[in-house]
Amino acid sequence: MTALRALVRKELAVLFGSPVAWLTLAAIGLVTALLFFDHLRVYNQILFLYASSTMGGFESDTVPAYVNLRDQVFLPVMETLALTLVGLVPLVTMGVFAEERARGTDELLATTLLTPNQIVAGKLIATYGFIALALGLSFVYPATSIVRSGLGLPHLLAVYLGLFGLGIALASVGVVCSAFTSSQLIAAISAYAIAFVLYDFRWMAQFLPDAAAQAIDPLSMHLRFGAFAEGLVRGADLAYFAGYVLVAFALCRLALDQARVR
Amino acid sequence: MSNTIRRGAAIEVTALTRRFGDRPVLVDINLGIAAGESFGLLGANGAGKTTFIRLLTGYLVPSSGTVTVDGFSPISDARAVHERIGFVAETSRLYPELRVRGFLRFAGGVRGLSGAPLRDAVDRALARFTLEDVALRPIGNLSKGYQQRVNLAQAFLHDPALLIVDEPTAGLDPLQQAEVRRELREAAGARTVLLCTHDLSEARELATRVAVLSRGRLVACGPTAEILGSGDPLALFRGQEVGA
Repeated sequence: MTALRALVRKELAVLFGSPVAWLTLAAIGLVTALLFFDHLRVYNQILFLYASSTMGGFESDTVPAYVNLRDQVFLPVMETLALTLVGLVPLVTMGVFAEERARGTDELLATTLLTPNQIVAGKLIATYGFIALALGLSFVYPATSIVRSGLGLPHLLAVYLGLFGLGIALASVGVVCSAFTSSQLIAAISAYAIAFVLYDFRWMAQFLPDAAAQAIDPLSMHLRFGAFAEGLVRGADLAYFAGYVLVAFALCRLALDQARVR
Repeated sequence: MSNTIRRGAAIEVTALTRRFGDRPVLVDINLGIAAGESFGLLGANGAGKTTFIRLLTGYLVPSSGTVTVDGFSPISDARAVHERIGFVAETSRLYPELRVRGFLRFAGGVRGLSGAPLRDAVDRALARFTLEDVALRPIGNLSKGYQQRVNLAQAFLHDPALLIVDEPTAGLDPLQQAEVRRELREAAGARTVLLCTHDLSEARELATRVAVLSRGRLVACGPTAEILGSGDPLALFRGQEVGA
């Protein structure tokens, strides 16, 4: 455990020693803030229109049910934040293994008491920890909206659980791509390609038979995240995201083992 | 660094062969290195030195043959082997964004040190390699000479019985080379040292016995003065002469 702890600390120190981590955190904070205030502005304008005398005002009960803080501000912001993760997470994960291999420091790691399992676990834990931190930074604005709209903390937590699941799924894809190359560029590009395919299969439906489209639809990250966004925490969705962790662990181990016998 | 220097670890290599695909990189290497010996592994670039080290540390798996450190296999008894190994590579194989003290804490941590023993080991290493003044600076901001001192310091943190040194003075200026060699000589003590280099003067200065690899084959092995002292040692690099 001592060696694993040391590795996790080193991974985070290396990550925060590069501009990528800080830029990613800044981007997530900025995107969330801009989106939140933009949606809030539009929401207020809509309310103003309905509240004006020409539209009958609030008292006449003309404000449709869908014009509420949850649907007009909170959910769109969360939806875009999820998409933002698709754009940013591969930048964070591209160096996890690839940079180590390119520098030759993987050889240094191989002479320590770390087992291959611990090396993979340490890198995944540090990456997931960073994702959790990044999402934590985006928490304040949605939290404000959810408190003001009276939607409640459980819904907010469900959404963030979904975002975290989505984040670790994307990070898992990125780390696996990084494990099979020593080029950060290749790791990032392949992670983007895979993440965009896995994020949402709906665009493929037009090219596939209906049965095939229906079969692959449950595999899309977006669909699984959608349930959390609605406030639903389902075991199947949690298992789906946990599956990414397990597959990533197995594939990273495979990459390390392949490098030893290549 | 500990005051009690451990005895060295013995290395035994038997019929060791490594191929990358169909291409043989090491062919039927047989070699014994006694505990406490300072041994130089020489060869031109691409001769197979780095592959040999990687097989010794378990970073690569042999295609055939065996290699042991104190009787332990780096594949099946990796932990026992890694407890005995201190590894010094070129300066480029460091984490430039980490600060010196932070890097040494990491290096000690991944070798099982924690708490007070880790703090003590790091403080001793900083003092031993005169790194106190740069302890809080990022490694990437240091000169190559300082970086190699950091590299040496991390390798001695856990008081290893076997020191593996791969091209330790590559890219250093002559003054820095002399300093690193002096540090290596002083710090080695009773440990076994395996020095991989293509620098003949480095081998003469640090190794009591050497082996020469050429195109993956062991072409000479014996006392340094005998192998490098007569004739044209560079002929060995070209594989023109097969020694003892």
